[in-house]
Amino acid sequence: MLHRKIIDLKKEKIEVKKAEDFISSSKFGASLIFKGTVRENNKNKKVTGITYDSHDELVIKSFEEIYGEVDQKLKIKDKAVYIEHVKGYVGLGEISIIIAIACPHRAETYILSRYIIEEIKKRSPIWKKEHYENEESEWLKGNPIQVN
Amino acid sequence: MKVKLELFGASRDLSDKDFLEFNIEKKISIKDLKKKIINYVDEKFKGNENYKKIIETSAFCSEDNNIISENYKITKDQKIGIIPPIGGG
Repeated sequence: MLHRKIIDLKKEKIEVKKAEDFISSSKFGASLIFKGTVRENNKNKKVTGITYDSHDELVIKSFEEIYGEVDQKLKIKDKAVYIEHVKGYVGLGEISIIIAIACPHRAETYILSRYIIEEIKKRSPIWKKEHYENEESEWLKGNPIQVN
Repeated sequence: MKVKLELFGASRDLSDKDFLEFNIEKKISIKDLKKKIINYVDEKFKGNENYKKIIETSAFCSEDNNIISENYKITKDQKIGIIPPIGGG
């Protein structure tokens, strides 16, 4: 069971409650909610916020591919996975991503949550422009996407 | 034919719009399209090395949302997305 969405902050909010509701089920004995938030410092620069950009269709496709390969790679069949990533301006302490997981047992939730965030960082076309105290801003250097 | 290059991430600094448009006389590979974008940077941004590096390290994606290789040939009017190095989360 997968929910995946890009949240355009000009139109809607990202909400933890929706993630909790989605993964809630008595067939799962463990659940875990990962939130990525904007922190105030990066490489000794005082950050005031981040603008996220996204190639929406490719990002959704990458979320589906990551979810789809979990059966094979991690042998985790029974699961609820909720992934939302924002695009637009995010202030300090605000949420940029939610990954909510529910599985029958706790070990699977930790493994799956970590796997999904690491794969998103490697594979999902999302970009960050950091804004600083002095009103400067900068696109962060990322990793080239793999071309098969 | 016209190639509309949709801009994402750091490549957005190449234009005030969300895209660049290139008029191409005949079919063109992604490898050659990259050269055209670099020529554009030479003309418009005096060869800004940071912009060139972004283009050189970018992947490209087709209108049907597949990441395409440098050998991919554009043969008709098409939208192509430029995918600079990524890092969300």
